[in-house]
Amino acid sequence: MRRLPARRLLAFVLLAVSAAALSAQELRLPLKDDSVRFAVIGDTGTGDSHQMSVSNQLNTYRAKFPFDFVLMMGDNLYSGDSPKDYEKAFERPYKALLDAGVKFYASLGNHDNPNERLYKAFNMNGERYYTFKAPNSSVRFFALDSNYVDDKQLAWLDKELAASGSDWKVCFFHHPLYSSGETHGSAELQRGLLEPVFLKYGVNVVLSGHEHFYERIKPQKGIQYFIVGSSAKVRTGDLRTSELTAKGWDQGYGFMLVEISGDELFFQEISDKGETIDAGSLRRAGKTEPNPGRSTQPVEQAPAAPKQPVAR
Amino acid sequence: MTRPILYGLIVATLTAAPALGAPVTQEPARPTPPATVPKTDTPVGDPRVNQSAAALQDFKTRVDRYIALRKTAAGSAPALKQTTNPAEIKAAQGGLAAAIRTARADAQPGDILTPDVQAIFRTVLAPELKGHDGAHAKEVLKDDAPPSVPLKVNAPYPEGKALPTVPTNLLINLPKLPMELEYRIVGKNLILRDTGAGLIVDFMLNAVR
Repeated sequence: MRRLPARRLLAFVLLAVSAAALSAQELRLPLKDDSVRFAVIGDTGTGDSHQMSVSNQLNTYRAKFPFDFVLMMGDNLYSGDSPKDYEKAFERPYKALLDAGVKFYASLGNHDNPNERLYKAFNMNGERYYTFKAPNSSVRFFALDSNYVDDKQLAWLDKELAASGSDWKVCFFHHPLYSSGETHGSAELQRGLLEPVFLKYGVNVVLSGHEHFYERIKPQKGIQYFIVGSSAKVRTGDLRTSELTAKGWDQGYGFMLVEISGDELFFQEISDKGETIDAGSLRRAGKTEPNPGRSTQPVEQAPAAPKQPVAR
Repeated sequence: MTRPILYGLIVATLTAAPALGAPVTQEPARPTPPATVPKTDTPVGDPRVNQSAAALQDFKTRVDRYIALRKTAAGSAPALKQTTNPAEIKAAQGGLAAAIRTARADAQPGDILTPDVQAIFRTVLAPELKGHDGAHAKEVLKDDAPPSVPLKVNAPYPEGKALPTVPTNLLINLPKLPMELEYRIVGKNLILRDTGAGLIVDFMLNAVR
């Protein structure tokens, strides 16, 4: 057999590796004009190399998909809340994004000191639950404290959702109302209180963490649920694919990118290696009459199959 | 979710009384004066009902007194306010905790969660720990529980330990608290925690069984 010269072989290998890397970092979002673009991370606060590898990918992808803000699903600081903890688990990993003016909107997990609400870089307005609207859009976000769902918070949510004229209503908080996780599973008690409010006021999308994996739930009563809880921790093998699961992945770390344009929402879950784990789109199906079994502003799912599916 | 019989009583009691979070006037020194029993839908003649209403009213009075004391203590500590500097949050939390600890140096377990109110809490919580929701509530408590939290009045809730999620069916059956306080259940024990100061204000053992 003819031997390839060493230089040629090296060039070939480098080319193959580069091509694979480029393919792995393929953006599946449409980058439409005037769209709302954001990233989702969850259970991030370790300050370890896994959090750093996810943050590196966030930086890489932002060059292609210039998102304006990041939603945090809670457990933002695992080890404590000393200044060193903030530095190690937030300021350092996301320095490039913070320096670029990307805003972070946090929710509280069960490992978070509620006083994190006072940290300005978390943009919580000093509150455990709050709402904000993406500029120049009809997309409103509601950050909830799922650790402590009391009457006061429910009354606030009812009032804020009722007053919101936004087409897209996105709620985010730590505990997933639907989950196929072995360790935690669905937060049924919170669901009993929150879901009726979501349905009544036409919440379209709910984002959570807590489970250390990625799961896209099949739309429940017209609402799309995502779990993005593996941005620094992963619980390998914990996802018990169930009838709820549209797509799931518990084999590595990741984050999600989201783009909303008109009645369409596009999503892409990406691993810390830059691989696409899941991608697809949702469409608002228009308003419906109030119905306890279905959101008044339901979504329909039309996911595009990833070219190289890695999800189980 | 089921509603325990006493829930109506609690709601009636706390609705009739001013909200716990409302501005308070300085209460006279202990012992607490006899509470006025508000109107409820339950028979007024039942002495147990009147006793429970009085205990809940007394709980409210004690919470109000704590909030008033806290407000005074906060005056000598750095303000808990929004900041870009985490060190300021930490310093404000620590300063407030120290001021409260000084102001309540003689505080004892049961000062706020009195034996009477503890008995009511146990009665209110017990039915919520049965059936499907009850099993789920127990799972949540077990799931989120930190290995151990030393139960001591005026002690800080340990830094870096998870704050266990309070099962919603338990939470909505307990009397409302002002925003400065919260309930947390660690293992079987209920903690009354100052949210800003991160202090254990009071606790009761075996709140859930």
